[in-house]
Amino acid sequence: MRSVDLKAVRPYADHLDDGLVQLSFTLPVPYSLAARKAALELAGRMGFEEPEVVHYEQLTDGYTYFVMYGRCTQTVDFTSLQGEGFDIEYMGEDEIERFAAEHVGRPIVVVGASTGSDTHSVGIDAMLNLKGYHGHHGLEGYRSFKTYNLGSQVPNGVLLAKAIEVGADAILVSQTVTQQNLHVHNLTELVEMVEAEGKRREMILACGGPRVTNELAKELGYDAGFSKGTYPNHLATFLVRELAARVGASAA
Amino acid sequence: VTPLLSELTASTKRLALVGLAKNTGKTVALAALLRELEARGRRVGVTSVGRDGEERDAIDFRIEKPRIELAGGSLVATTDVLLRASTLPHELLEQTDIRTPLGRVLIARLRGPGAIEVAGPSGAADVRAVSDAMLSYGAEQVLIDGAIDRRAASSPDVADGLVMSTGAVLSRNIEEVVRQTVEAVELVRLPLAENGFQALRLAPRFALTAEGEQLAALLDAHPDARRLEVAGALPDRFLRELLHAARRRHRELGVVVSDPTKVFLSQRGPAWYAAQGIAIQTRCSIDLKAITVNPVAPQSHDLDSAQLRALLAETIGDVPIFDVLDTDYAGTRSLATGP
Repeated sequence: MRSVDLKAVRPYADHLDDGLVQLSFTLPVPYSLAARKAALELAGRMGFEEPEVVHYEQLTDGYTYFVMYGRCTQTVDFTSLQGEGFDIEYMGEDEIERFAAEHVGRPIVVVGASTGSDTHSVGIDAMLNLKGYHGHHGLEGYRSFKTYNLGSQVPNGVLLAKAIEVGADAILVSQTVTQQNLHVHNLTELVEMVEAEGKRREMILACGGPRVTNELAKELGYDAGFSKGTYPNHLATFLVRELAARVGASAA
Repeated sequence: VTPLLSELTASTKRLALVGLAKNTGKTVALAALLRELEARGRRVGVTSVGRDGEERDAIDFRIEKPRIELAGGSLVATTDVLLRASTLPHELLEQTDIRTPLGRVLIARLRGPGAIEVAGPSGAADVRAVSDAMLSYGAEQVLIDGAIDRRAASSPDVADGLVMSTGAVLSRNIEEVVRQTVEAVELVRLPLAENGFQALRLAPRFALTAEGEQLAALLDAHPDARRLEVAGALPDRFLRELLHAARRRHRELGVVVSDPTKVFLSQRGPAWYAAQGIAIQTRCSIDLKAITVNPVAPQSHDLDSAQLRALLAETIGDVPIFDVLDTDYAGTRSLATGP
């Protein structure tokens, strides 16, 4: 049996290293042979070798939906991504509760909001509220967390004042980052206000949104960034680990 | 003869580079400074509150970013992950307790020259700590690169001087770029609070949340107060409410902050507030050394570099203004004709 080369990882379907990728997309063209040809050509331009259409159908007049396979020739070096900051393995809820009890030993206070003009509170609700989503309940349902969800369109000053008042360990802010500077400015302003209040070392700052990566979080001045596909236990894992590290550092 | 950016900032031990927005050319200014300092044989330390030297923009992947090239012997505060990825030979001087989303911050001395991604501490107090550490390990000057529009690293608590970057990315309209830049300069150069008046100290966090009614009550309870002293952040929202309450009482007021990075304005600049009777003042000032302009808004539009600089100079006056990529900048000339 072939072993995995972590320095050159690629997708597989039938056997290791075959590079097979399934992709699906819609083209705004009528359901036709020409549409099928367009999909094949497009997949070729995406860099897939031996692309094939395994299914296509009319979505509505003038639109065609495709399912394709193609062979990916690229690889990534997984070993280069395992350094500190990337090597967090997520804990489950029970594990988080045990870890928090052992390493933090008191309720972890989290204050969250969607700030500025952003009206989307879905992300923050999913992370904080008991209901959570996809069967993963939010931090409110954990014994080791005490949460405050301030909702949407919250001014940065109000969010920060509340966080200071309740002695928050962490502020969680959600924002739909676009190329417009406004959203980015809302996020950086909160960080700067925390600095201005002299609380930066006391608080963990986390931001979430559809386009937030760790790289962007770093530029924005946050301790972590969470994007699509994040469950509450991912956030909770980060918070308990980070807090435990800080408690450890200040005890040392 | 116009001086070089490196000459103007030579006496500034900890120099902060701050931009008014993303893509205003901070990192290009940093790269120019590094080239000049290397030519003069100056040993530098470099850190970034964000991330520098990355290949692509974190929001718009179409935008390529300038690399950071450091001379052998330079000191750097960046993360373990990025230091390893650079593959540059180095001597590890200190492993800090500072964690970032891109790894743990280390302080290292490079044994040879090369390109490196720099991502140091984000928090102001931590930035100061690694800057002082690099000075103690032999750096003659520390350059602190900002990120996006973050200003905290330019606080006098962190840095001794500031280079501000502005550019076409702020607006398609050159007058609007000038207006926003002039307001940012006014903010950095807030007047110092005069002593002698009795200042009313506001309760912690009052300025963060106070509504109109609370402000009205405060002013009525202190009819003789001429100045309000804010210990932490001063948001625009507070100033607007204060202006409203003060006008109704026909009062003029000073609002004093500890330094300009504590002030968060949005629509109006300090001069506008001053004209309305609200004078924003500071305990400590920021030493603005120079302004750099980037006439290009990536993936969008260009402005005329010389015109932008001329318009800025007309209003701002006594701060040197550079476009470090323009052929009329002494640094680019000496590079082109250099040894």
